[in-house]
Amino acid sequence: MDEIGNLLDRPRLYCNIDGLGELAGGAMCLGFALILWPMTHTPAGSVWERIPFFAFVVLMVLIHYGTKAAKTRITYPRTGFVEYRKQWNTSAIAAVSGALAAVGLSVVSRRHWDVSMLAPLAGLAFAAAYGYYFARAVRWKWAIAGAMALTPFVIAFFPTDVLTALGSDSPAAHPARARLSGSILVSLMVYGTMLLVSGGISLWLYLRRTPAPAQDGQ
Amino acid sequence: MNQHIRTIADLDRVIHEPGRLMIVALLFAVDRADFLYLQHETAMNKGTLSSHLSRLEEAGYVAVTKTYRGKVPQTLLCLTGTGRKAFEQYRRHLKEAL
Repeated sequence: MDEIGNLLDRPRLYCNIDGLGELAGGAMCLGFALILWPMTHTPAGSVWERIPFFAFVVLMVLIHYGTKAAKTRITYPRTGFVEYRKQWNTSAIAAVSGALAAVGLSVVSRRHWDVSMLAPLAGLAFAAAYGYYFARAVRWKWAIAGAMALTPFVIAFFPTDVLTALGSDSPAAHPARARLSGSILVSLMVYGTMLLVSGGISLWLYLRRTPAPAQDGQ
Repeated sequence: MNQHIRTIADLDRVIHEPGRLMIVALLFAVDRADFLYLQHETAMNKGTLSSHLSRLEEAGYVAVTKTYRGKVPQTLLCLTGTGRKAFEQYRRHLKEAL
């Protein structure tokens, strides 16, 4: 029975056989950091405050269609095409979690709460998600998952003035908010880089191990 | 015949063959997949995979669609409703039998 369970799990693991999922995740993290930067470094009421929504939509569209195009050109001709079953519950959970996280961050930001103590939890959640989606198929990726879990603890030792300077142009006005923004920016950049590195290695290994696309049809 | 032995005898023989069991289990987890994917995952050669797929198609468990990816022919496969039910029933029977 376990063997059947493993077979049923294989298509899910196949989704990131080429590392494109990680590359997309890395691009998303770095893109979010790029969007967050002008938000935290421009005066209130400036035009940059209206741009993030559109930038976010453009980023998501680029990542979605970019991944699709890469799969069509690289993965499907080499190891085959798979169309996954539409699972509304997974999409709904992702949408609700995203909305809750956005609302939570907005409340924290407005009330100037210091939630830096929650950062390690976020790091552990990120590492657990990476472990579940990417690392369980490949052993060496557990090292990346471990590094992800440790990242918030390392960031916690960053000098406060560096984090607040990264988080805002006028950190003296709202130091807790500036520190939070700075921590988020650094975390996004570190996680984005880690995902890009692990996705790049996966893609390189995939290209090395799989034969060039066959042109004789099926 | 006692109940336990009857459960084993009731196992669907079309699915019970290891090669076809692999194919059906892989297709059960997706909406559809192509021939190349099944070949990659099962490590069967084209002939063996084709013959298993023909048997599953005859039984009405798998639907085969021939199409093109650009100029390259592509064979898309999906489990039919009957195939899904048969696989679920097979798993249930196997669990009871074990």
